[in-house]
Amino acid sequence: MTGTEPTAASRSDDETVEEVGETVGRVIENVGEVIVGHREVVEHILTAMLGRGHILLEDVPGVGKTMLSRAIAASFDCSFKRVQFTPDLLPSDVTGASVYNQETGAFEFRPGPIFANVVLGDEINRAPPKTQSALLEAMEEQQVTVDGQTHAVPQPFTVIATQNTVERDRTYDLPMAELDRFMKKLELGYPEEKEESEMLERVVGRHPIEAVEPVATLSDLEAAREVTANVTVEKPVREYVTRLARYTREHAELGASPRASLLLLRAAQGRAVLEGREYVIPDDVQTEAEVVYPHRLRTRLDETPTGELFEETIDAVPLE
Amino acid sequence: MTGTERDRVTGEGRGETGRDRVTVSTPLRVLALGAALLVIGSFLGVLHHVVDVVSDPRTFLTIVVLTFVGATVLARYLTDRLAFVLAALLLVGGLGWYLAGLSGTALQLVGHVRYTIALLTGQSVLAIVNLESWVLAVTPPPVFLAWYLAVRRRYVASAVVGGATTLFFVLTGDAGAELTLLGVVGVVALVGVGELDRLEGSIGDADVVATVLALTILTSATVTLVPTGMGYTFSPDTGLEKSGFGGSGTSDTVEANLLDAGSELPVLGSLELSSAVRYRVQSDESEYWRVGAYDLYTGDGWIRQGETGTLDRRLGTPAGRARVLEQTYRPLTSIRTMPAAWRPSNVTGTAASTARATSLGGLQPTRALTPNETYTVKSAIPVVTRSELQSSGRDYPASIEDRYLQLPDSTPERVGERTGRLTANADNPYETARVIENWLEENREYSLNVSRPSGDVADAFLFEMERGYCTYYATTMAVMLRSQGIPARMVVGYGPGQRVSEDEWVVRGHDAHAWVEVYFPDIGWVRFDPTPTGPRESIRQTDLESARENDAPNVDTNDSQRGEWTSTPGGVDGVTPIQGTNQFNTSSIRRGQIPVNATITPIGQTSRGSGESDDDRTETERVGIPTAEEATLGLLALLGLAGMARRTGLSRRAYRAVWLRWQPRVDPETDVERAFERLSVLLARRHRERRTGETVRAYLDAINASGLARRVAAIRERARYSGTISEAEADEAVEIVDKLTRT
Repeated sequence: MTGTEPTAASRSDDETVEEVGETVGRVIENVGEVIVGHREVVEHILTAMLGRGHILLEDVPGVGKTMLSRAIAASFDCSFKRVQFTPDLLPSDVTGASVYNQETGAFEFRPGPIFANVVLGDEINRAPPKTQSALLEAMEEQQVTVDGQTHAVPQPFTVIATQNTVERDRTYDLPMAELDRFMKKLELGYPEEKEESEMLERVVGRHPIEAVEPVATLSDLEAAREVTANVTVEKPVREYVTRLARYTREHAELGASPRASLLLLRAAQGRAVLEGREYVIPDDVQTEAEVVYPHRLRTRLDETPTGELFEETIDAVPLE
Repeated sequence: MTGTERDRVTGEGRGETGRDRVTVSTPLRVLALGAALLVIGSFLGVLHHVVDVVSDPRTFLTIVVLTFVGATVLARYLTDRLAFVLAALLLVGGLGWYLAGLSGTALQLVGHVRYTIALLTGQSVLAIVNLESWVLAVTPPPVFLAWYLAVRRRYVASAVVGGATTLFFVLTGDAGAELTLLGVVGVVALVGVGELDRLEGSIGDADVVATVLALTILTSATVTLVPTGMGYTFSPDTGLEKSGFGGSGTSDTVEANLLDAGSELPVLGSLELSSAVRYRVQSDESEYWRVGAYDLYTGDGWIRQGETGTLDRRLGTPAGRARVLEQTYRPLTSIRTMPAAWRPSNVTGTAASTARATSLGGLQPTRALTPNETYTVKSAIPVVTRSELQSSGRDYPASIEDRYLQLPDSTPERVGERTGRLTANADNPYETARVIENWLEENREYSLNVSRPSGDVADAFLFEMERGYCTYYATTMAVMLRSQGIPARMVVGYGPGQRVSEDEWVVRGHDAHAWVEVYFPDIGWVRFDPTPTGPRESIRQTDLESARENDAPNVDTNDSQRGEWTSTPGGVDGVTPIQGTNQFNTSSIRRGQIPVNATITPIGQTSRGSGESDDDRTETERVGIPTAEEATLGLLALLGLAGMARRTGLSRRAYRAVWLRWQPRVDPETDVERAFERLSVLLARRHRERRTGETVRAYLDAINASGLARRVAAIRERARYSGTISEAEADEAVEIVDKLTRT
């Protein structure tokens, strides 16, 4: 699964933003055929993928988190693995382990579920910190280390972790330092009444997820990431992002980190590509900041929700 | 901060109350001190001019600088009470020093009080005797006190002291309109800004004061703040009475601005003389009926210094040989002058009791003479020959040199230079005087129709003007003589007039005349008349004819209509009157209209035709560099207007309006950004302003903007965030905004 880089690199040269935008649009349409509603969330996941970020989905069970992830993975024709995090899950259950091969008489590495293009870590907060960190290391380093040997994860590599907000018992909340590694935290929310009935109508009987056909290749995604990285970010936008970060630092106990600013800009680049634009505008930044910022902020004395602080930041920081 | 430093600072704070601290410097403080300088400067300007007239102003300036330094230093140490005492001592001491320098006769308390009242009602300080000492004596106290108070933050008191001093000079008439206005503006600014400083206001509040100042200056530009002519004047001799200035239509007037009984003789512009009969004079000889002399030249006029005295103290006889001429004057109107041939030595008759003598030996009545109130003057006419004058030399008495060689420090050098060249061949003062007299007669045309030149009158007449009347001729000659070190003075009076019988002359208003007297050692004052006689006579005659045709009142007496008994003595030769008979036959003038046509341009035409062009010329000359006062006032007015504009928000709106409609092109990025700013202003006016964190797209959606506006926003978005912009797009954006601005 790792042999697609050369073609991706060669294709990125002649791919334009418009073409990438179209490809992404096709994927969104495709996902929309199986997942009713949640278009914004789908867009956010795709821009995160374009900007090489990982996603934290937080919501009550049963709103379709897994289904959504699977649909996106299937649309790209890329490998998809799901790990259900439980309190007794070991790090090697995630990363894989060295196993003695009787035929060759040597240890060989058996890759765990993390070796896939899209990894869904379900209920990540139920696993102990050690297991969590195995996943988080792979997210940050794009590699796993087992028995002193490092193994690169396949590219492109995207982790979508979910968190259950209902059962807080026997869970291990992710510390701020680890939350910071997720580019975005998204909430699905319940579908609207019309959407829900439409969903039921589609799903009753045979679930359409089985019928999802890929509309883009892995190399398409690889090329799209390349194009995204080249999207222009002019000085006014960079300065705006800096001002936003500084504002949160001045007004919250814990503000946006420099990594947050970097991830925000990458997400904004993805947003620009999604809209077929070769440059980032403040609108992109604002749209992305809404999901990039709140999970990184901690307000003073926890008196106001981070969402409110975010709104305040957007309203108060001058655009130019 | 070390211990000693702290001690010093707190020590200072304790020494003076917090409000009076001298050390703090804020913009308002600077402004207040600037205003104080303006107030002080306004009366210093007057004093400087006064000093400049009589001598070199360097001593004066040194004293002023020393006073400023002293006041600044003493403001740190001296209490208010002591400062007032010091100022009073300075004033008393200064005046004492001044009075001590005068001759004993001048020390008369009542006389001084009367004189001070005269000063306060329009008598110029220039008439004060020993003027320079007086100025040096009175300058330090007000300067010291006003500046001391300003430094001590007693702004109102400072404004009172400075303003009162300026007011004194306004009352004496010495402060011109500009200086007065500067003083007023300074007082207003000092009180206003000073109060702001005291209340610790912000510099932004000062625009209120600036607004008031601008209004003051602009209003005064339309309504004169300073009365230019006093309706009434107070003379030390006659008390309060209606001023002669500007009242040329009334019967009791003297010859308006040509001849005045007072101690000031301004040189004015165009002149019209009355043909009414003033006096009948009985005399054995034709003479110039002399009214008065002036010794101090101010650059724009003449002043007679000193007070009048009793006849017995002032009248006398010339130094040299003399013969007695008895004249009897019968005024035919109420008039305030007492003409007499030089040099009057005895006055008798009904009017004799009212006569006083000026410090220059002329007669002056203490009240207006009534018609037919005759008086008889015995004059000692100097008898002198040409050779005596030529050989009299330059051995002038010190008192004469002190008084009659005075010229304002501002007199241009070129006056003396040209005079020196003209008179290079003259061997003695007499010849110098003759050369100047002849040169003026031949090189300047006579006309009553002239514009008053700006600046020095003599300089203007010598270098710029082509024509003028007797005042200009005489003034210029006196100044030229003084520039050559020859004592000379300005004299006004009447020409001989119309001879109606062998020993009787009729003197009319238009016989008023001005000439020069030159001093010769051991001989005394000798008359020179640089005015060309011919043209003057012609104008006189034409005036008389037209006055007769128009039946003007008082033009003739019973016998004056019969015609000339014989003619006046020519004033052409300044010495000949002594011999008495240099005749200039004007009988033909009466019959044949101007016999001198061939040599002298007919006046009737030239004075009209070329008179106008003359006016035009002097008008243009007058438009020059503004004076320091005018420039300061103009600057203050501009600043005030700026403050007013700022206060009313006018400047911002005006700027906005221009900014919105006019876009200079620079480069595509700047142009697009500017076009977008203009669009933002337009949209803000029509809808609402964009909020701080609101993106352009969100804003345009929110106000449901038009496609054109969106197009501009799109171009700007590309330019700003992609860094690429084409000339054509910039043009398009500017064009769209231009269009939107117009609709």
